[in-house]
Amino acid sequence: MSTVTEPFVHPALFYADTDEYLAGCVSFVREGLERGEPVAVAVPSYNLRLIEAGLGEDARRVRLLDMQEAGRNPGRIIPGVLRAFADAHPGAGRVRLIGEPIWAGRSETEYPACAQHEALINHAFTGREVSILCPYDTTRLDERTLADAYVTHPVVIDGTGRRSDSPVYDPDGLVARYNQPLPAAPGGIRLTYDYDAETLPTARHRSVAEAAQLGLAGERLDDFALIVAELTTNSVVHGGGSGTVLLWTEDGRLVCEVRDAGRLTDPLAGRRPARRDQIGGRGLLTVNLLADLVRVHTGGYGTAIRVYLAL
Amino acid sequence: MQSPERTAAGAAAPVATEAAPYLVVRPLPGGRGVRIAGEVVLTTRTVWADALAGAVGADRCAYVLELSEVSFVDVAGAEALAVAAGRLESGRRMVLHNPPRTLSRVLEMYWPGLPGIEVPTP
Repeated sequence: MSTVTEPFVHPALFYADTDEYLAGCVSFVREGLERGEPVAVAVPSYNLRLIEAGLGEDARRVRLLDMQEAGRNPGRIIPGVLRAFADAHPGAGRVRLIGEPIWAGRSETEYPACAQHEALINHAFTGREVSILCPYDTTRLDERTLADAYVTHPVVIDGTGRRSDSPVYDPDGLVARYNQPLPAAPGGIRLTYDYDAETLPTARHRSVAEAAQLGLAGERLDDFALIVAELTTNSVVHGGGSGTVLLWTEDGRLVCEVRDAGRLTDPLAGRRPARRDQIGGRGLLTVNLLADLVRVHTGGYGTAIRVYLAL
Repeated sequence: MQSPERTAAGAAAPVATEAAPYLVVRPLPGGRGVRIAGEVVLTTRTVWADALAGAVGADRCAYVLELSEVSFVDVAGAEALAVAAGRLESGRRMVLHNPPRTLSRVLEMYWPGLPGIEVPTP
């Protein structure tokens, strides 16, 4: 009987302090460098500086990314950070990354998208020679976050370097658990507009005009126009032919929600990078790449996609 | 009809934002290319595709798409342009005059440095 070993390796690293963080991360990076593997580190800026200092000269051989920028929207991390790096090194053998998508400052609104991202990494890299280490700050993250890390990672490494298989590993269960109705808008909805194919541009014009009044400007306003166009066009093409766009502000952010009768059945929709010669498959990807946060609720009744942009 | 214009959705002049989506393609003098006005969205996609097919089939090294009156191009529209540019024989190119920023943004995201597309600095 032959055993097929999954080549994708996705451990969580639980660290309680700087020493444990550096011990786990620097050894992971050095092991990759010694084997000649391409290595990238995408962690919050304060931790990036620690790893950079810990690596010394070797830091120059590593791609360093500020996850608070590159991974601000959790939905962007797989296509824009992890696969962007892994796919750029075809034929290199194993590719190695550190990805720290959840830090203490992540909000309650962001968290479900962060947890789902961690779960979906497992699908995105199945069968690939890739190692992704995900550090979790056990001192500053809450119990729910640490419990979820056991559900999204098949292996957990503790501060002493001991590895153990997670008995509760269930990424699909976690994606489903956080697929919940989005919280109600806090009041003061600025725009509600029902659209179909003929009124698609009006949905965009009105949304953009409202966003401009609320203070969005310049390139971000153009990005917002693209986001609205892709979401509303998806409704018309894939979501039953029509939909509703809503707009409001919340905690200094512009929030735009698009609802339609479609059902998102592909959990990796919008998380696969697009090949240059690929036709289609860039709608939700564009939304993920441009937005600061994307939340989704999908089910038998339809789909709601909520996009946040900092004002 | 003597007019060489091709118009989507049979729309009238585009003034208010509430007007039906439209895209109008007019030839530039001397067969240098076309001047396009309107929006490239789902309902105007076929007009855009026809204009791009005209560019690919044209008997010129550099074919001009004057886009200063195009206010918006969605991702599928940018993709159609990238595909058309990829069909040009080596050495031929489409020259985009004043593309809307949404088009430049999407081309930069997904097709940076496409050899068949030139965007002169205005």
